[in-house]
Amino acid sequence: MSLEILIIFAFGGALLTYLLGKTSEKIRDFLAVAISLSLVAFVACLYGKSPEKTFYSGFLGLGLVLRLNMLSWLFAITIAVVGALSIIFSLSYIRAREKTDFYFLMMLLVNAAMLGIVLAGDLISFYIFWEIMSWSAFLLISYNKGPALAAGMKYIIMSIIGSLSFLVGMLSLYVSFDTLNISQIAPVITSASPAYILFILTAFGISFGIKNAVLPFHTWLPDAHSEAPAPFSAVLSGILIKMGTYGFVLILYVMVGLKLFLSLGHGLFSFRYILCALGAVTILIPSFIAVLQDDAKRLLAWSTVGQAGYIILGIAFGTNLALAGGIFHFFNHAMFKALLFLAVGAVEFRTQTRDLDSLGGLAKKMPVVFIATLVGIFALIGVPLTSGFVSKWLIYKTLILEGSPFLAFFALAGTWGTILYSYKLIHNVFLGQLPEKYKDIQKSPLSMQLPMIVLSVAILLFGILPGIPLKVIDAIGTSFGFESLNITLWGITSETGTLNTINIFSAVLVTGLIVWMLFRLGAKSVSIPQEDSYAAGAHTPADKYHYTTEFYNPLHRMIKPFLRDVIDEFYYWIAASVQRLCCGVRHIYAGDIGYYVTYIILFLALLIFIQLKWKPW
Amino acid sequence: MVIKVMQIILSPILALVVGVFFLGLARKIMARIHWRYGPPLIQPVIDMIRLFYQKSASHGRMFDLGIIISLAGSIVVILFLPFGRICPLSSSGGLLVILYMMLLAPLGIALSGGQGANPNISIGISRKLILSLGYEVPLLLVLLAVMTRYKTISIVEVANAQQSTGWSIISWPLFLSGLSYFLILPAILGIRPFDVSSAPQEISSGPMVEYGGKYLALATIEHAFVLFISIALFVNLFLGGADNPVIFFVKMLVVFVLSLFIHAVLPRLRIEQAIKYLWKWPTLLAFVGLIITLMIK
Repeated sequence: MSLEILIIFAFGGALLTYLLGKTSEKIRDFLAVAISLSLVAFVACLYGKSPEKTFYSGFLGLGLVLRLNMLSWLFAITIAVVGALSIIFSLSYIRAREKTDFYFLMMLLVNAAMLGIVLAGDLISFYIFWEIMSWSAFLLISYNKGPALAAGMKYIIMSIIGSLSFLVGMLSLYVSFDTLNISQIAPVITSASPAYILFILTAFGISFGIKNAVLPFHTWLPDAHSEAPAPFSAVLSGILIKMGTYGFVLILYVMVGLKLFLSLGHGLFSFRYILCALGAVTILIPSFIAVLQDDAKRLLAWSTVGQAGYIILGIAFGTNLALAGGIFHFFNHAMFKALLFLAVGAVEFRTQTRDLDSLGGLAKKMPVVFIATLVGIFALIGVPLTSGFVSKWLIYKTLILEGSPFLAFFALAGTWGTILYSYKLIHNVFLGQLPEKYKDIQKSPLSMQLPMIVLSVAILLFGILPGIPLKVIDAIGTSFGFESLNITLWGITSETGTLNTINIFSAVLVTGLIVWMLFRLGAKSVSIPQEDSYAAGAHTPADKYHYTTEFYNPLHRMIKPFLRDVIDEFYYWIAASVQRLCCGVRHIYAGDIGYYVTYIILFLALLIFIQLKWKPW
Repeated sequence: MVIKVMQIILSPILALVVGVFFLGLARKIMARIHWRYGPPLIQPVIDMIRLFYQKSASHGRMFDLGIIISLAGSIVVILFLPFGRICPLSSSGGLLVILYMMLLAPLGIALSGGQGANPNISIGISRKLILSLGYEVPLLLVLLAVMTRYKTISIVEVANAQQSTGWSIISWPLFLSGLSYFLILPAILGIRPFDVSSAPQEISSGPMVEYGGKYLALATIEHAFVLFISIALFVNLFLGGADNPVIFFVKMLVVFVLSLFIHAVLPRLRIEQAIKYLWKWPTLLAFVGLIITLMIK
C-alpha cells in the first residue's frame, strides 16, 4: 500500500461523502465513519515501514514527495484516531443542524489535509496541505455563525500571516539551496551561517508558533476553540494545533539537526533557551487565565494554550528525555483534550449551555460522561496512572537534573493552575446541586459515549503501560541522533531516577481495595437526596441559590488585575489603527470631479515648483 | 522479599499510629496552652471506633469513592516515603511521584465533598484549593532547591546524602529553603492560622460538613496520614532522615510540637491574607534559597 493511495483515498472519500450525502443522510453517515475508520486501519498497517515516493515532478522542476518515518507515523495515527472518533461523535451532535453534508466534507477534508502535512516530504506539498487545512478549519470554526464568524476571521487572519511567514522562509531556502526536499536540505544547511539559520528558524517559527498558539501568537485560539462545533473543537485542540508542533520538530530536528540547533547562541541568549522560556511563559500565564473563565469550552481552550507550552518546552529543551516528554505529551494531549472537549460537547448537546455558573449535579444523570471527564482531568493534571503523568514526569525530571529549576518551577506551578481549573470544570458541571430544570435530562446517545469510552481506556492503558508509546517515541529520538532511552513496558530505568508504573499501579490497586473493604466494614450509609443537607437549621428553598457561582472568587479578586490579555488588546489596537488610517485615506475620494481636478492641478504645481527650485530633470 | 512485604504492611500501620498519636497530642498540648485539662491522649481512637458504628448519610457514588481515593492516595505516598530506613517502594519515580500522589488526598476529598451540594462545602473546597496553590508556590521552590542541590529526584538519595554531609537545614545553601518549609508547614497541615478551609465556627468544617459516621472516621484517618506525610517529608529533606524509626519519630515530634506552638496562639487568617503571607515571606526565602543553590552548584 503506498502513500499516494492513502492521500487520494482520504481526499476522494471526503468528496464522495459530500456528493452521496445529497442523496441520503444514512449513506453519508455510514460513508464518513467507514472512511475515517479505514484511514486508521490504513495508517496502522504502515507501522515500521518507511516508503518514499515522488508523486508529481513537474512543478517548477521540483518533485512533490510523500514519505513516511516514525515521527510522521505517530502523528498520522493520532490524527486518524482522533479524527475518526470526532466524526463518530458528530453523528448525533450535528444531525439536527443545517448544512450537515458540508460539515462532514470539511471534517474529512481537514483530516485528509493533516495526513498530507505529516506525510509531505518537501516544503511545497507541506505548504499546499497546510493551506487546505487552514481554510477548511476556518470554514468549520465559522460554522455556528454569530460570534463564530468573528472568531473564524481572527483565526484566518493570523493564519494567513503565518502562511506568509512560511512562504518567505520557503522561498529563501529555495534561492539558497535550489531544492525544497527536506531530506536534501538537511545535509547542506550545515554550511550556512548561523544568522541565516536563525532567520529561517524565525520565519518558520512564526508560522508554526501561530498554529501551535505559543505566546505571543495565541490570541486566535480561545475564541476559535470555544465557538467551533464541539467535535471540531476536539480535532482543533487535539491535533490541528499540533501541526505546529510537528512543524517545530521537523525544522529543529530533521531539517536543521540537533547539533546545529543546540549550537545557536550562548547560555540565556541561545535560540534554544529563548524558545524554552516562551514555552514556560506559555504554560504559566494561560493556565491561570483558564482559572478565571466561566465558559467550559473557553476554559478548556486556555488550558490548551497552557498544555501546548509543555510540548514546546519539551521539544525546545533538546535532551532525549525532554524530547520524549514533549512528543509523548503531544500524544497525550491529543487524547485527553479531545476527550474533554467531547465531554463538554455532550453536556452542551443536552443542556444547551456551557456556562459553568448555571450547570451542576449532572454526574447522576450522565454517568459515562462524568467518568470520562474524570479520567480526562486526571490526565490533564497528570495524576499517576494516567498517561499525562508520564510525559510530565519526563519533562520535569530532565529540567531538574539538567540544572534548569526555574523552567521546572514554571511547569510545576502551571500544573497547580491546572488543578484549580480542572476541579472547577468537573465540580461546576457534574458535582454540586442539580438545578430543577435539568431534573429530567437524558443520557448521552451511544455514538457520543463510544468515542469517550475509547479515549478514556486509552489514557488509562498508556498510563499504566507507558512503554508502548514510548517505544515509538524512542525510535523517533534515536533517528534524530539521541541516545536510546532505557524503555521497559512499565516505564524508564536509569541511574538518575527510575519510573516504574507497575509499582504505583499495584500499590494503588491494593491500598484502594483495602480502604474499600474498610469502608464496607463500617456501618451502612443511607442514600439521601441533595436537598437533605446540613444548613445550620436554616431551610433553603430548592433552586433559590446556586452555590458554585464564582467558585474561586477570592482568587479572582487577587489575580485578575495581573492577568489581562495584553497581547490580544495590542493586536486589536493595531487592527483599529489600520482601520482608522484607511478610513482617513478613503476621504480623498470625494466623488466630486472638482476635487479630482484640484488634485491634478496641485500635483502639477508641485512638479513645476520642484523643477524650478532644484532642477532635477 | 519477605522483609519487603513486611515493610509494605508495616509502614502504613506505623504511620497511622504516629499520625493518630499526633492528633491526640495536638489536642492535649493545645488545651494546656489554653489553661484547660484537655481530652485523654487516645480520644481520637475512641472517636474513630465510635464513628465506625454510627449510621451515616451518603450523597452518591462519588461521595463514597472520593473519600476512598483520598485515603488510598495518602497510603500510597507513605509507601514511597522513607521512615528511618524503611522505604518499601523507593525506586518508582522519586519526589515527583510523591508530589503528585500527595495531590490525591485533597482532590479525593474535593470530589467527594463536591457531590454533597452544600454551600459550606463549595466555599471550603474553593478555599482549600486556593490555599494549596498558595503554599505550593514556596513548596515547589523549596523542593526544586533540594533536588538541584543533591542532583537527584529520589528522596531516598536525598536522605542518604545527608548522612554523610550533615543535615541540609544547617548547610547554609539550604537553610533558607528549610526555614521556608517550616513557615508553610501549618498551611500544609491545614491548622491555624491557616485553617480557612475547615474553619469550624465559620463554615461548619467546610468539605467535611456532610460527613458523618464512617465517612468522618475515614476523613480523620486521612488527616492523620497528612500530618505524618508533611512532617516526614520535612524530616527526610532537611533533618537528614534517620537510621532507625525511633530517631526519625523523635525528629518528627520536635517539628510537630514546634509548629503546634504557632498554631495554638494565632487567630485564623482570611484566605486573602493567607495567600498574601504565603506569597510574600516564605516565597521570598525559598526563591533566594534556590538562587543560592544554583550559584554555588
